[in-house]
Amino acid sequence: MNKFARFSMLLLIITALFAGYGCTKGGVNGPDGSATDGQAGGPATIEEAANYIKTAPVYFAYDRFDLDATAKADLKAKADLMKRFSNIKVQVEGHCDERGTEEYNLALGERRARAAYDYLLMLGVNPAQLSTHSYGKMYPAVQGNSEEAWSKNRRDEFRVTY
Amino acid sequence: MIRNFKIKLPILLMLALGLVLSAAALPLHSALAAQDAPSAQGAPSAQAAQTGLKGRYIAPISPSAYLVQAALADPLGESRYLNELQAEIRNNLGFLPFLRLIDARAVPGGLKLPTASEPGLDFERFRLTRTDNLITSIWINSNQVELRAFDVSNGKFMFGSRFDVESTKQVEEVADEFCAMFMQALTGRGDFFRSSLAFSKSDGPRKRDIWTVRPTGGNLTRRTNIPGDAISPTWSHDGRFIVFSHIDDRSHALGVWDADTNRVQRLRFPGNTVIGPCFMPDNKVAVSLTDGRNPSIFLLDHSFKKEKTLINSWAIDVSPSVDASGNYLAYTSSRQGNPHIFLTNLKTGQTARISSGGKYNTDPSISPDGTLVVFARQMGGGHRIFLHDLRNGAEKQLTFGPGSDEQPEFAPDSYFIAFTSTRSGSKKIYLTTRHGGEPRQIDTGSGEASFPTWGIPRK
Repeated sequence: MNKFARFSMLLLIITALFAGYGCTKGGVNGPDGSATDGQAGGPATIEEAANYIKTAPVYFAYDRFDLDATAKADLKAKADLMKRFSNIKVQVEGHCDERGTEEYNLALGERRARAAYDYLLMLGVNPAQLSTHSYGKMYPAVQGNSEEAWSKNRRDEFRVTY
Repeated sequence: MIRNFKIKLPILLMLALGLVLSAAALPLHSALAAQDAPSAQGAPSAQAAQTGLKGRYIAPISPSAYLVQAALADPLGESRYLNELQAEIRNNLGFLPFLRLIDARAVPGGLKLPTASEPGLDFERFRLTRTDNLITSIWINSNQVELRAFDVSNGKFMFGSRFDVESTKQVEEVADEFCAMFMQALTGRGDFFRSSLAFSKSDGPRKRDIWTVRPTGGNLTRRTNIPGDAISPTWSHDGRFIVFSHIDDRSHALGVWDADTNRVQRLRFPGNTVIGPCFMPDNKVAVSLTDGRNPSIFLLDHSFKKEKTLINSWAIDVSPSVDASGNYLAYTSSRQGNPHIFLTNLKTGQTARISSGGKYNTDPSISPDGTLVVFARQMGGGHRIFLHDLRNGAEKQLTFGPGSDEQPEFAPDSYFIAFTSTRSGSKKIYLTTRHGGEPRQIDTGSGEASFPTWGIPRK
């Protein structure tokens, strides 16, 4: 292998290492599982960022509003995009499954929306970019009365404007 | 429309029968102190039924035990509204679980009488059939009717009125007013037939409006027509306002319908949360708002501006309900983990948990007399209505589905309870009483109906 070939191989390895570092350090998983990154390989435009933010809901356990690790990772990715695209405004919308009563679920939905709101603030998002709204159990994402359906309805959705 | 021509003797019929119970309620502070004790699950209904409310009240021993048997005599005279009014009165009295109208075939000589007033009324045929009350009607002319009620046991006149009837709408009003007078004579409270229910009615996707209807099903009227969901109505005690939560794509708001102008305004609050408003006796409003992190219960002044915090904890505090004194506030709180019913003395701040069973108790309504709290408990097949007696801590299940029974609301008489149920397949409004019994659906027309609340509309 000549010098040029060895140099090319080294450059390729270094590039691959940097790319890998980028994915594990600052990268996030997109809604379809694909890797995205706020700095490289992620949404390049505000339209793509908005689409990412609104496509991935955050899910909750029954009668709970605390964020699990998956939810926090998703919110981290959203926060990165919101900080990068400061024109984006997000209304966090809390939803519940059908089993509870309507007024209590409106309050629970508010707590769920507020949990994501507070976490995004903690990650450095400008509060002027954020608001909350609760729909309680008014608008399920999935019809059905099984745990599979309920688990998809206990969620925060993210309405994006820019 | 109404001309009271005489009231000879305001007979306290139930006192005479030994059926009126006047049990002064225990002081609520006693009830508060007792609430931490385990409540009696499935409390003895007979005992609970025998403990009456403040003042006079009929307390059926069981929902199926009729305590009053009445006869509705055939109307005399001629009018195009004659049969209509007779049917309306019959329908109205059918709403009273403690009263049964006797069948004409059971009365010797039937219900066709030669006269509608004394002298000449044959009470003996009614005594033979153990009838307690006789109701007569005579049309003076085609647009005027006299309605009378008699105590059969002693043949005494109870009360009577002459009414003008010139339309089908007036037929309903006359039937309601006469039945209110009759119920008042029997029980001391005629509010049921004078009241109206405000409720939320679905009108397509993401569209619910506030409607009103008489508890007997008449006079169905739309009050709002705005995009979004209008839910959780509450009626001001002076009958002027219906206040509700309004939710659209951008925000929560406090909706205010004004009977004087028939207009609606929407008031937004910081925090973007407005849940379950409730009028206080002084026409201020208690409502759950978010001020910071948690939905808490605030008091709004007469301009619907935030006046002060009523209930605040680290958790969810929602669905306030206040008694007629304005001293006791029942509400849902998750401060102990799961949602449960709590009661706070607003004068002293003393708070006690009301619900002890189940893991999910919501939608409380305290009776205006301050002795009972009804609420919805999540069970295996849906929610069910339970009643908690603040005087002795006893708890009783009032409804048994099928479907889900939610949003119970005490009537002004502290006897009837309206609630929402899916037992027919979709959300409709039903009536029961504090003693339970077979619920009766209120005709609210097409579309899902929910969040019933009682009020006495302005005349």
